[in-house]
Amino acid sequence: MSSDILSFIIFLPALVAFALMITTKDVNTIRNIAFLTTTVILALVLKIYIEFIPSEGMQFVTNVPWIETYGINYYVGLDGFSLTILMMIAILIPTSYLLLWEGRTKGYWLNMLLVQTGVTGTLLSLDIVLFYFFWEVMLLPVFLMIGSYGFGKKIFTTIKVTVYTMAGSLLMFIAILYLGVAYHNEFGVWSFAYNELMKITTIEYSTRVWLFLAFLSAFAIKIPIFPLHTWIMDTYKNAPTGAVFLLSSIMAKLGVYAIVRFMIPIFPEIYIEFSIYFVAIGLFGLVYFGIAALMQDDIKRMFAYSSASHLSFIAAGIFSLNEYGINGALYLTIAHAIATGALFLLVGLIHEETGFKTIKDLGGIAKQAPILTFIFAIMLFANVGLPGTNGFVSELLIIFGIYEFNHTLGYISAITVVVGASYMLWMFQRAILQDRPEGSPVLKMRDLKIKEIIGLTPWVFLVFLMGFYPDIFIDKFEPTVTHYLNDILHIGAAK
Amino acid sequence: MISLTSYAFVAMMLFSIGAIGVIARRNIFVIYMSIEMMLNGINLFLVTFARYHFNMDPQVITIMVIAIAAAEAAIFLSVIILLYRSRKSLDTDIFNTLKQGEKS
Amino acid sequence: MNTNLLVWIILAPLLGAILNAGFYFYHIKKEKVSELTFSLIGTGTPLISFLITLTLFLRMNEEGIIFKQELFTWLDIDKLHIGMSLLGDNLSIFMSMFVTFVGWLIHIYAIGYMRGDNGFGKFFAYFNLFLASMLILVLADNPIILFIGWEGVGVCSYLLIKFYYGKAENVIAANKAFIVNRVGDFGFILGIVTLFFALGEVDLSFSSIEANIGNASSELLVLSGVLLFIGAMGKSAQIPLYVWLPDAMAGPTPISALIHAATMVTAGVYMVARFHFLYSGIEEIGLLIAYIGAFSALLAAIIATRQTDIKKILAYSTMSQLGYMFIAVGLGFYSTGLFHVFTHAFFKAMLFMGAGGVILAVHHRQNIFDIAKHRAITPIIKFTFLIGVIAISGVPFFSGFFSKDAILAAAFQEGEYLIWAMAIFTAFLTAFYMFRLYFIVFVAPTKHEVKYEYTSRTITIPLLLLAVGAVAAGYLNLPTILGGEHLVDTWLIQLKSNTIHMSHLTEWILMILSVVVAGSGIFVAYKKYANFDIYHPEEETGLIGNKFYIDDIYNTLFVQSTKKVSTFIDKVIDEKIIDGFIMSSSNTFVNIGKKVSMTQNANVRFYAAFMLVGMTCIFIYLYITLGL
Repeated sequence: MSSDILSFIIFLPALVAFALMITTKDVNTIRNIAFLTTTVILALVLKIYIEFIPSEGMQFVTNVPWIETYGINYYVGLDGFSLTILMMIAILIPTSYLLLWEGRTKGYWLNMLLVQTGVTGTLLSLDIVLFYFFWEVMLLPVFLMIGSYGFGKKIFTTIKVTVYTMAGSLLMFIAILYLGVAYHNEFGVWSFAYNELMKITTIEYSTRVWLFLAFLSAFAIKIPIFPLHTWIMDTYKNAPTGAVFLLSSIMAKLGVYAIVRFMIPIFPEIYIEFSIYFVAIGLFGLVYFGIAALMQDDIKRMFAYSSASHLSFIAAGIFSLNEYGINGALYLTIAHAIATGALFLLVGLIHEETGFKTIKDLGGIAKQAPILTFIFAIMLFANVGLPGTNGFVSELLIIFGIYEFNHTLGYISAITVVVGASYMLWMFQRAILQDRPEGSPVLKMRDLKIKEIIGLTPWVFLVFLMGFYPDIFIDKFEPTVTHYLNDILHIGAAK
Repeated sequence: MISLTSYAFVAMMLFSIGAIGVIARRNIFVIYMSIEMMLNGINLFLVTFARYHFNMDPQVITIMVIAIAAAEAAIFLSVIILLYRSRKSLDTDIFNTLKQGEKS
Repeated sequence: MNTNLLVWIILAPLLGAILNAGFYFYHIKKEKVSELTFSLIGTGTPLISFLITLTLFLRMNEEGIIFKQELFTWLDIDKLHIGMSLLGDNLSIFMSMFVTFVGWLIHIYAIGYMRGDNGFGKFFAYFNLFLASMLILVLADNPIILFIGWEGVGVCSYLLIKFYYGKAENVIAANKAFIVNRVGDFGFILGIVTLFFALGEVDLSFSSIEANIGNASSELLVLSGVLLFIGAMGKSAQIPLYVWLPDAMAGPTPISALIHAATMVTAGVYMVARFHFLYSGIEEIGLLIAYIGAFSALLAAIIATRQTDIKKILAYSTMSQLGYMFIAVGLGFYSTGLFHVFTHAFFKAMLFMGAGGVILAVHHRQNIFDIAKHRAITPIIKFTFLIGVIAISGVPFFSGFFSKDAILAAAFQEGEYLIWAMAIFTAFLTAFYMFRLYFIVFVAPTKHEVKYEYTSRTITIPLLLLAVGAVAAGYLNLPTILGGEHLVDTWLIQLKSNTIHMSHLTEWILMILSVVVAGSGIFVAYKKYANFDIYHPEEETGLIGNKFYIDDIYNTLFVQSTKKVSTFIDKVIDEKIIDGFIMSSSNTFVNIGKKVSMTQNANVRFYAAFMLVGMTCIFIYLYITLGL
């Protein structure tokens, strides 16, 4: 029974969504039931978290045939990597509901539920075709959300982001098919499970490089890695808050996760060989996006760049090939998801209450909304990497990791310390702190309601708990990282 | 005897003139007449081969073609009347509502 | 030996901060909470910390032990083991003693200073949080935990500088402080990382680093030393990372007293002392540190002679005195430098508090000439201020004399005559500008009718207590030639500092020389300012008055250029080039589609022609391939 729990977690939101679609018409009922669903999932994930044993293998596995002729199985399972991200998703989504509570339509909530299914499915799939299926599933509700509930040039934006992402997915799909055929040619049977595809030996080097790049393109677009990042600017600006939150806090991380889950086992030598380029690109992205964020006038675009900056840093950590870097990168995914997610939700709140357009129009929120300012400041400092918050632990580990990988790049990576602080503090000053003249629309800003405070409190608590006591969290996924490095990449053994 | 080739040549000329007439003329009646001319050209071909190879089969086909042409005439002329009633013009280029490309 | 008390030194103010924060939210959302509550919590907790520290100190003094406390494992990955562990050895307890004592007094002072302010509770929450962070910094057993406190004080400094955040320039000053500090932190983190790998990934507690220091190659040690010092440069406002300190005076005066005089800025000096085992082995870097200290001291003193804001003068004097401290620790005289930290904490805090009292008494004016024009009679403030000015100028029998003199002697002994010369000239300037300040604010004739202005006891009593300290603290480390016992040096024996050992004659000559220099500085100031016409005030003009335009240089060089790069990246690279490429490729598809769709033009004859052409091609093809 416990091994079915993963399937339950994956499909529950979709089933609830379909049920709601045909039964109720009332927005509030839909919203309440959706919220209830997400809390149920949170409870289940907590149960898994407690039962999980931090060793190297997959747990809670389900493996049943799906499309037998081509060896595509419904193969889901959980290990250290997926567990941390699953925990993160399960905690983040209910709170986001609380902060999006008022003024939405039916479709908004239904789409949020469907995205949750897609995201969880992507996370837990171990069969690569199943993974692809869920990868596409998680795109479609976001497409609908941006197109229906967005702002500005929403149709253009949603088509741009969907087509861009799908272009990458298409390349990945071609690579998947190639791998499947190669496996069939070598072993005589069809299989698409990730641990089976690892065993292919007959593909020659140059083809492997192309396959690697094809896979990577899909993930690099999602994360985003320079230069495949230009979709984020319009998207984050024109998308509704819920979509932005999902895209940046959750879906981008799945790009990172997918690199670790599928690309490391299947292409280990190429991964090691190209790692230095990607660490360099990641660090370049960190600085490039960070500087670009400075002069942004639209607060959402600024956060888009900031998000991209941190995600590039995470990517650099993932490619650093040692325990510090990869553990740090995983920790930063969680830290970033919480901090950036909170900031996006709060900014969305401000946008809805005041209708502002640019940072120039804001200011003086601190006097109107002290609790909001307080939480905003905490999340801002977590983003900047203040010691005592989870941001610091993760950035420190990544710096250690990149330094061990390459001394020069390690020195460059420490720039993260300065870059984030500059644009964040300047934005904070102009948008929140300094006084506004009378009659400005900002003065309509209200402080956080009780449910919003209740929703955000666990996040604040986590930020500090993860900052002061990181070991209890890192222990859950560290053995998996060690396993990946030692057994799959054979790096630890060489040390 | 007049050679097969000459007859074929005449038939070919009839067919070509008809084909070009279908493509190059805009007046519906002219298009119709060109279509008829094409059919007549084909008829001449068939009859010629029937005569020169002493075979009756092409002549049978020719009779069928004439019959079909007559039926087609009826329909064609009715449609022309309907088209004229809807657009008051006999210019085929006007009927372009199914157009893609620029705005019509 | 293990103890559970150490963590309470930190937890007391931390809990105080959380309590005050909670009460403050209650205060603004529901009902008012009295200032008394905030004050009691806010001043009670530093007192608790001080008492615990005192207890530990007394035990250490008697039994000669040190205290440790392992709280929990903070991080344990691969070979990186960092424990949340605290160390109460002589150095940290020494620092903790005056940090908690002076901190406590300044908290009491703040009750009077911040009275009536809306953010009273918030202030004390931040203040306690600052104290907790500073204590984490000094009590940490490994550099990472130290860094937690290091950044913590940086954040609290930011929060407190921008206390009056409605005005943009206060927030800008806070941003500047935080970002310049962060540049320093960039160096600090890299220093730790380099050190960790250079030592072969050993356990990172200070004792372990000290034991394993031989593993590392000397180039890497030099690199680590420089990088760690970059952090100190930022935190302690030395060249080139000092530009934030004068602007930080935008915050309320109690924080200038606590953070920017007595505690946070001394963190850099503490750090160098804590890493004494590293710096003693790389003497070139120590010399570099000493030179930077000397230059900073001199530069600050020069600029201070033309400043007109009372707090900025004190800020530059802090930077100058910090320079002295770095001269000492750079040359290996760790305990001497820390002795100056100790005495400086007393008289500088007192000077700032006095300045705050004066500012309150003349109803919030900060320009020294304005203050003189509206002077009020404030006897206790005037008295303690005089003591502070005398102490900082290095007049004998006051504490500043002993500590500063020891540093000068150290420089001379090491043969660093250039440093010694700069330091002596700076001493002259210090006496000069401090007495300039004193004379203008308190003495220069004014046409205004001076009346007595009451200053609350929460201000005057701490001032008097600190005045005692400003005088007496010097006696803790009397040099032997004056019959003293070098108590501080003995206490800090673990640092293996260099000691002064020169002939008594040289020592007497140097001492007299510094007295003469100080005296002449006072004399020149007296001649010029005791009867100064305050109605023709000095302006901040000219090269010195504009602080050598360094702020403007930094602004153009770093801030404006980064902004330009940012706009360039956004508008040109991202929008035009990269996105342009993507959009043009998608536009290409659309255009091709448009071209192809021109064949669908609903023109029947066009379709017929196409059919004809197509059929012809097929027939030709069949003719060729089937060979008819």
